[in-house]
Amino acid sequence: MSRHLMNRRSLLKSGASAGGLALASSVIGTPLIAQTRSLKVASYGGYFENSFKEHVFPAFTAATGIEVESVTQPNSTDWLVTMQQATAAGTVPTDLSLYARDTMIKASRLGGLISPLDMAAIPDASNLDGYFIFEDGTGPIGVGALSWFSAMVINPNEVSAPASWADFWDSSVYESSLGLSKNYNSQLLDIIAATFFEGEATFATEDGIVALIEKAAELKPNVALWWTAESQMEQSMKNGDVIGGQYYHDVAQLMAADGFPIQSIFPKEGNPQDYGSWCLSSLSDKGAEAAEFINFTSQPSTQALMSRMIGTAPLVDASVTDLTPEEFASVSGSPVIRPAYEAYLDKETFIKESWDRMLAGA
Amino acid sequence: MTAVDSTKAEMTAPVPQMRRPWGTWALGALILFLAVTPFILVIVISFGQKIEGAGWEWDFTLANYQRFFVGALWPDEVTFLHLQRLYYALYYAVIASVLAVATAFPFTYLLTRQSRRAQSCWLVFILASLSLSEVFIVMGWDVLLSNRSGLPMLFEVSGATDWLKRTGWFDVLREWGLANPRNVKFKTSEFATILTMSYLVWPYAVILLYPALSRLDPSLTEAARTMGASPTKVMTSVILPTVKLPLIGSTLLLFVFLLGSYVTVVVFAEPAKQTTAVAVYESVRGATLDAPFGAAQAVVLLVTAALFLVLAQYLTKRSEAR
Repeated sequence: MSRHLMNRRSLLKSGASAGGLALASSVIGTPLIAQTRSLKVASYGGYFENSFKEHVFPAFTAATGIEVESVTQPNSTDWLVTMQQATAAGTVPTDLSLYARDTMIKASRLGGLISPLDMAAIPDASNLDGYFIFEDGTGPIGVGALSWFSAMVINPNEVSAPASWADFWDSSVYESSLGLSKNYNSQLLDIIAATFFEGEATFATEDGIVALIEKAAELKPNVALWWTAESQMEQSMKNGDVIGGQYYHDVAQLMAADGFPIQSIFPKEGNPQDYGSWCLSSLSDKGAEAAEFINFTSQPSTQALMSRMIGTAPLVDASVTDLTPEEFASVSGSPVIRPAYEAYLDKETFIKESWDRMLAGA
Repeated sequence: MTAVDSTKAEMTAPVPQMRRPWGTWALGALILFLAVTPFILVIVISFGQKIEGAGWEWDFTLANYQRFFVGALWPDEVTFLHLQRLYYALYYAVIASVLAVATAFPFTYLLTRQSRRAQSCWLVFILASLSLSEVFIVMGWDVLLSNRSGLPMLFEVSGATDWLKRTGWFDVLREWGLANPRNVKFKTSEFATILTMSYLVWPYAVILLYPALSRLDPSLTEAARTMGASPTKVMTSVILPTVKLPLIGSTLLLFVFLLGSYVTVVVFAEPAKQTTAVAVYESVRGATLDAPFGAAQAVVLLVTAALFLVLAQYLTKRSEAR
């Protein structure tokens, strides 16, 4: 469920960020004085990390005096493997990592990789919905950093905006015309659960999951592209190979602003929201600095800054930020579908194999 | 007497060629280590145990191999999903390699009849095209087959789409998955997958066939022609038997090469028709972190390729002996 490189936005905004890079590199290049407090923070590489270096880290250093060293992490799952091996070897490349919720739960189950956070030192986390503060047996191990929606998209030149996800099942309109994600945990099952079943509760039993996957199978004649990389879907929407499907809300907004025929829609069932959490490495001795950083990113002003500069959806209520309704709509929306993360992990092999069988017709 | 003495002398005398400097041994050991260790690691990992919702651990279980043949839910349910992927890997590789060699053969034959200068120009061009990576070639075909920038656009503009719709062929194409209600579509399809795969290995086919065909003695064909054999007869009874082994050899090499192709399949094949190579990557680097099952699939793919090579060797030997 984790997002990989944000190719699209890196292209769109690389021009705009070039100036800022000079500033960012000057921050990173500053030699650390012995007394200076510092912290290593990992975030998804590319445009994403650059935006952090350019906008978020300098603001944090200005507010607290703590220097931030940026570390590149490719995505969530690969990074978990890296951190697991590094922890076993005794030295880790970063203090804070950015994990998607499913990877964080996986790390928690692997054990010994993440330290609990001192929530007393993170008072501003109270701005976040309790859902975004994840606790396991050892205590609170992850606080939400930022989030994104994978939304319903259509080509407005070809079809009118559907009111419900159920419209995608209509072959008279969408035969061989949709682009959906091929990964079993890319939240199509959550959409189906919200549209036709009882939502997350349907994931509780294997029969429920089978019913979800059978419903997904009915979509197969309408799917022209089962995409694995974000760029495949982007190209297919631009080329008209597909006229609708599932894609990232924020990137779709940027494409639309560039004049491409794409419209991102919140149908009546809503769109799935995924988010990344800050997690502290078990080998880090920078717990206090990490807490200050997490506290900083939990503030409404920082959440608004990230929405404007990185295009992520804020984890705090829009009303406490100074985002305009237009700014908020370009990164977020409602209603929200919350993915059944635990079920995807508890029944990992079952869901993956059943999903693959559905796709393969085997 | 003297003979025995001289033998003894030879045995005791230092034999310079037999002495191996330590460097050679070390280099040999290093190469062996680098070549064999990854193999052994993959085989050992394939017996590992997956932990649901987490990673995996070292173990000795045959569950991953069992899953390959009957699925993870056995014995409650049997699925041949993974065998189906292996089937598609073989299917694409066989058709694409045969197609590539079949089309490269006449080209190369005609090429060897050209002037020296023309031949070297062509060969340089073909060698240069080998530097294009799979990713690059797939990107190219991706554009060529796209709705707004490629072949479907040509169909639309030239009126071929309308013609197909009028004559009813359009519905046939829709049944074959080569059209949506608006226009023809070539992505995703077996057509695009096999086309791209053949294109990918076509230069290799030419380069593999060139030495054999250029060594072909022109006097053989000339003799056959003077004795009254038709060009077809010359091809089937003189040229083809002479180059049979290089033909089979090239096809096999390209077949094994194509068994593991990844980018083409990911981009051009629908998920129902994807291959073991793609599944291996998904298992190892995907969200499940199921390296043991990925390794088991890799081992099966390896064994399959080896079996085909052995089988081909046997068939060639048998036909040689006849």
